Amino acid sequence: MSRMDSVPTTHSRLPRRRVSDAVFFGTMSLLGGSYVLLIVAMLGADAYYTTPGHIRDALLKPEIQYAIRLTLVSCSISAILSIWVATPLGYLLSRYRFPGRWLVDTLIDIPIVLPPLVLGLSLLILFHLRFGDFRLEDWLRKDVGFPVTYAVPGVILAQFSVACAFAVRTMRSTFDEIDPRAEAVARTLGCSRWQAFFYVAFPQAWRGIVTALTIAWARSLGEFGPILVFAGATRGQTEVLSTTVFLELSVGNLEASVAVSLLMVAMAVIVLVVLRALHAEPRS
Amino acid sequence: MNRSLTILIASVAALAGLVWLTPSGRMRPGLPAAKTDAQGNTTAPPLVVFCAASNRAVMEAVRADYEAEFGVLVNVQYGPSQTLLANLEVSGAADLYLPADDSYLDLGRDKRLIVETIPVAEMHAVLAMAKDSTTKVASLADVLASDLKLVQANPEAAAIGKLTKDLLTEAGTWDAVRERTIAFKGTVNEVANDVQIGAADVGIVYDAVLTTYPKLIAVRVPELANLSAHIAIGVASSSEQPQRALHFMRYLSAPEKGLKRYEEFGFQTVAGDPWTDAPELTLYAGSMLRPAIERTLAEFQDREGVRVTTVFNGCGILVAQMKAGHVPDAYFACDSEFMQQVHDLFPAPTDVSQNELVILVPKGNPQQIKSLLDLSKEGLRVGIGHEKQCAMGWLTQKTLKEGGVQTEVMKNVTVQTPTGDMLVNQMRAGSLDAAVAYLSNAAGSAKELDAIRITNIPCSVATQPYAVAQSAKYPRLAERLQQRLKSAESQSQFESQGFVWKARPATAAVAPKE
Repeated sequence: MSRMDSVPTTHSRLPRRRVSDAVFFGTMSLLGGSYVLLIVAMLGADAYYTTPGHIRDALLKPEIQYAIRLTLVSCSISAILSIWVATPLGYLLSRYRFPGRWLVDTLIDIPIVLPPLVLGLSLLILFHLRFGDFRLEDWLRKDVGFPVTYAVPGVILAQFSVACAFAVRTMRSTFDEIDPRAEAVARTLGCSRWQAFFYVAFPQAWRGIVTALTIAWARSLGEFGPILVFAGATRGQTEVLSTTVFLELSVGNLEASVAVSLLMVAMAVIVLVVLRALHAEPRS
Repeated sequence: MNRSLTILIASVAALAGLVWLTPSGRMRPGLPAAKTDAQGNTTAPPLVVFCAASNRAVMEAVRADYEAEFGVLVNVQYGPSQTLLANLEVSGAADLYLPADDSYLDLGRDKRLIVETIPVAEMHAVLAMAKDSTTKVASLADVLASDLKLVQANPEAAAIGKLTKDLLTEAGTWDAVRERTIAFKGTVNEVANDVQIGAADVGIVYDAVLTTYPKLIAVRVPELANLSAHIAIGVASSSEQPQRALHFMRYLSAPEKGLKRYEEFGFQTVAGDPWTDAPELTLYAGSMLRPAIERTLAEFQDREGVRVTTVFNGCGILVAQMKAGHVPDAYFACDSEFMQQVHDLFPAPTDVSQNELVILVPKGNPQQIKSLLDLSKEGLRVGIGHEKQCAMGWLTQKTLKEGGVQTEVMKNVTVQTPTGDMLVNQMRAGSLDAAVAYLSNAAGSAKELDAIRITNIPCSVATQPYAVAQSAKYPRLAERLQQRLKSAESQSQFESQGFVWKARPATAAVAPKE
């Protein structure tokens, strides 16, 4: 057999490559698509289980309208607060080596790995632990006039406690990916650390901030356990959509709970699409 | 820097806008304006109720009724019973607690988190099946013999699961039922949800739960006939407004108010006191008990926001009044003998205290009286209770007779009074040399009188029972008064007056926070 025989011609290689490509994309699509299909199937099942009438009924209820409003506002506040905390913390963890850094790094993961109910219970204990005659919640409630437990600030704090951990992780990765040499050059040109951060690092982290904001918002939307324990599920007061689903489910009103779940999905999709649009690469 | 500054300013502005948009947390459609004082401030903070999520539908109806009727804001927090109890323990932020099963109230009481409780309703265990199910089931054995998918609540997490396990273990069928159970769920509602969705064919649930599941039917089976749960509501010991909490609790448990709603939602209600904004109790009590119970009665009235009309007198007189038709809501007798005489009116007495007869003499005992026999000394002026008018007199006669000195002592008796207080007054006035009265009668006169103990005559000790009348208009309220009279605070009052405590240690009614 000659050498020429053993090497396929360009002409004969094309079909094989096409077959190979088809197998590649087919396999990858099948494996990856199965998850997408699962999500679509779940949403389809939800939609099949409820009717437009149930969704309309849910939307017309003043309690649900209140829950929608509180959900939107509390998730947004929680997400913005998360960014305010996550940006400096992510930057410090990414750029500097300081004593106890590993401990801070570990502590940030605790809200992520902790069971949600435990997080709520920990908040509850924190606000009601007595130090002599002092109790944080009593002081806030009676002296400051700003009750937190079983009140709207409690909802936001419960959401923030978890969402912020995800935002910090995102912001740290963001700053890890930004070359620190630009900031170092800025400092050699006379910039202070503040100026290096604000002029050089922060503008470059814009996309990371939007991503962290998105993650924090979405995480807050789905938060349930800490809110139930720390802020309660009082109709017209601390009821957000996730607790509405629980309350409707607990009395067997499956149609309403599915309707509210679909509302949450719709809200999440709208917010995520808007944020993704902000995040999108501008066309050159 | 411009971009960074823009982001910062935008985020601050967004946050400020969101805070402004934050709902006030006081949304209540149709709620009448809360009562306000002259300065326009709301005078009363809202009532906070921790309520099991399974009772949400009925509680919302009761809450709406109550708010509309009294203009009082009621914040109800729903959740799993155990979670709410843990929250109550940590925060103490509730006035009332209504769990799915009264066993949680027992737990709360053990931890001194709960004071008063009132039963509300009962639920019975049934099998939940889809209405369109083609399989006919008449017993749990039918389920085991079929290929139906069975789900039930987790014995570790839900009361019905534990009760089912206990009942079936006793019947010897638990292992077989457990084997056939495809899933154990966290709550009874999750069991019903599974059957409604079709994930299971049969579930063990409470009948009342199915009221909100129109697609399911309840199948009563003999194996679960004796399995029921009791729903009750309790006042949190941490409540800073117990009177208002008890007002709501009485409303919830009144047949024409809250219980009516519970019936509408498929619960089997228990007997409750009729609704009155401020009910009134009538209590007949032996005179000897007045110093021991007066303070407790005042505290009870203050805490409950009710009125207790008391009639103190010799028990003989009180019994005569009752036999004449004036039956009070509750009777606290000086001695069980007098309770026995009206047993048909007060069928379930409970002993609270004991009091012993003593010989009262002036301080220093100038006549050197050491026993009953010494009361027969020549020229001694002796006072005793009237045997027809009070338990003390009746008991004195019995004691003198038992001691074999009745005839001798009676020769010296110059006065017989209907109450022991009168004897004490006469002793202090110097018109008597000795008197036979209860130790408690002399509790406030230790500076003027000495008490000589009567030994070796067991019948000289009187036992004081309390009972609620069969005809009481507010039996639950009268029972709560009983609990209060048996509390630790009441015990110290009795003991300070020379009584001996007989009631069960006051774990049933812990001291409320005042």
